[in-house]
Amino acid sequence: MFAVEIGDITKTFDDLTAVDHLSLSVPEGSVYGFIGPNGSGKSTTMRMIANILYPDSGVIRLFGQQRAGIRAREIGYLPEERGLYRKMRVRGLLEFHGELRGGKNVAQEVNGWLERLGLADRANDKVETLSKGMSQKVQFIATVIPEPKLLILDEPFSGLDPVSADSIRGAVLEMRKRGCTVIVSTHDMGVAESLCDSIFMIFRGKKVLDGSLASIQSSYGSDTIRVEVEGGASVLGELPGIEHVKDLGQVQELRMAPGCDPQQVLRTLLARTRIVAFSVVQPSLHDIFVRIAGPQPEEETPVA
Amino acid sequence: MRRILLIAKRDYLEMIGSKAYVVGLILLPLLFGGGFLILPLASRGNNKNVHIAVIDRTGVSASAVIQAAEESNRRAATAGPFGNPGAPRYIFEQVKPAEDQAAQLLSLSDQVRRGELFLILDLSLEALHPAGDRKQEPVRYYTNSGGVVDPMGLWLPAAVNDGLRRVRLAQLGVDAARVPGVLDAVGVVSMNLVSKDPATGNIVQGERKNPIQAGAVPFFLVLLLYIIAIFGAAPNLGAVAQDKMQRVFEMLLCSASSFELMMGKVLAAVGASLTSSTVYVIGGLLALAGMAMFGLAPLNLLPWFFVYVIADVVTLASLGVALGSACATPQDAQQFAFLLILPIMIPMFVLTPVMLQPNGTLAVVMSFIPPFTPVVMLLRQAVPGGVPWWQPWLGLVGVFAWALVMIWVAARIFRIGILSQGKTPQLAQLAQWVLRD
Repeated sequence: MFAVEIGDITKTFDDLTAVDHLSLSVPEGSVYGFIGPNGSGKSTTMRMIANILYPDSGVIRLFGQQRAGIRAREIGYLPEERGLYRKMRVRGLLEFHGELRGGKNVAQEVNGWLERLGLADRANDKVETLSKGMSQKVQFIATVIPEPKLLILDEPFSGLDPVSADSIRGAVLEMRKRGCTVIVSTHDMGVAESLCDSIFMIFRGKKVLDGSLASIQSSYGSDTIRVEVEGGASVLGELPGIEHVKDLGQVQELRMAPGCDPQQVLRTLLARTRIVAFSVVQPSLHDIFVRIAGPQPEEETPVA
Repeated sequence: MRRILLIAKRDYLEMIGSKAYVVGLILLPLLFGGGFLILPLASRGNNKNVHIAVIDRTGVSASAVIQAAEESNRRAATAGPFGNPGAPRYIFEQVKPAEDQAAQLLSLSDQVRRGELFLILDLSLEALHPAGDRKQEPVRYYTNSGGVVDPMGLWLPAAVNDGLRRVRLAQLGVDAARVPGVLDAVGVVSMNLVSKDPATGNIVQGERKNPIQAGAVPFFLVLLLYIIAIFGAAPNLGAVAQDKMQRVFEMLLCSASSFELMMGKVLAAVGASLTSSTVYVIGGLLALAGMAMFGLAPLNLLPWFFVYVIADVVTLASLGVALGSACATPQDAQQFAFLLILPIMIPMFVLTPVMLQPNGTLAVVMSFIPPFTPVVMLLRQAVPGGVPWWQPWLGLVGVFAWALVMIWVAARIFRIGILSQGKTPQLAQLAQWVLRD
């Protein structure tokens, strides 16, 4: 059973096609990561799932039902650009959001979440007195009261300190444990790798990746050599069969061209320098992201 | 509907709890109507002696004129609900005419400038027996007042004429005191038309026109409607732009549609306006009762007043919310403020002609133009004589049709405006938003 089924949707704004014939299925109870560069169509897709925007064509089904135009209490949506009524007190604001979404035991839920995220002592303070991290926690709580079946989080960790980010991450995992489906967009590939069961990447409005991290990585094969050598990146130029060298500082990643033999690369390197570490690995999500969204060879500005 | 009411409740409580609302509630009546209340209070401190110099070039008229003026003042101090016992006490001093008339007038004028005199009354030689083809008025008075509002003009000419008539009678050998009432002026009053009671068929006598009822009551009623509509609706413009800038809407849009959001805000504005209307109306009625003038209260018009408040605020608040949503910043919203209040401001320019001829062509036509109907029709209804019974109802149909159109237009702008980014659109672009699917 899928929580979200998107069938061939397209959304345009004037001359810009933000989402282009996109299809996607999000299994119930999973954490689905949306990645993609800025302006690729992530937020537009999320807004369409949340019924804030409507596709020009195509179909969106939530839990098997086409629900365009209906605000369902089952959906919690935390937008990327979020704000709260600054003059309201925390408890009043959360109860307002909860009641607006049709919650029944809103006061009880508000108390529970304030306690859980360490905001109980600020419940009667005005929102404008909260720090940014606290405000984001309040926004998160406003999204999950009443408890949704589908939680859509657009960049929930942006701007958060590690402690606050861990609180939200813990809350997301708890929601999933209770059966909630979570769609989360992020620019942090580490978060996507560690938090998400499946990852979907959109680029220029089109789907370019969709599946589990393992399946995505295996589709790229073990085409990467991670090395640590004396002399660093300066001794890695002009290696036969290597398309690209990525210098990470202490470690370098070499992307092999199709048909390249890593043993041959190892022999060439041994002839040049002393090798500290050499391993053939699958590309990281970050690397895959950059390969797709980074400047293409024809787009790169030639160096004089 | 539940979501609209929830949003309305939140916005209403925020609105009436704001300092701006509370301060406005207190200050507005003082700013707009306070002058009328302050005037009599302020004049209470003016009951000092003021000196009037009388130059009598006829040589025989001064005593009679002064006597008539003093009698007139005594009557004015005690007559009617607006009798003012605290008014200035006029002391008349006869001044012997000098040969150099111009020099004498200059000298007395200087005394007026220094505050030693209040007024110079100059009775020329022709005052008693004016020529038929007068090129100049035979009696003049000189004061230092602005001249826009001249309270002396309300009584002094009549008093002077009264005095001169007594002298003329005396010269004819008639002792006015021996012919009681010979100089009494009779009241000539304006009456409302006689009508027929549609329920009983009985003829209803026209009532005497009351200048307060005819002028002040309609004016204040319409002014109150104008103030309430503007101050109930206009804040939406900046408030929505502020909420948009603080990114409040997108979180709400998952829970409520843009239409529900907009209508919640409009309903809150209506609620706040009805609250202030109720406060002002109750305050006004209590004030009238306190002054023993409760009979002037236009009780039959109050339901219409509240209906017009609702209609005006719904229309203006919808437009305010829509325009506010299109603005990138609250500062940008200011450029639309004039556009917002224009529909209710225009009829304020025709108050006088409408009050003078409430059933004239201008008044009737304007009262059927929906954006102007609340102000103009209410004014026509409030002026004694009223309007044919069907006209307010027909006007109301137009007003609510107009309100529905404005809600539709506003909703079309609002749905795009709250998620739009970048610079504030021009009016042409807003029109495109309205027409876009």
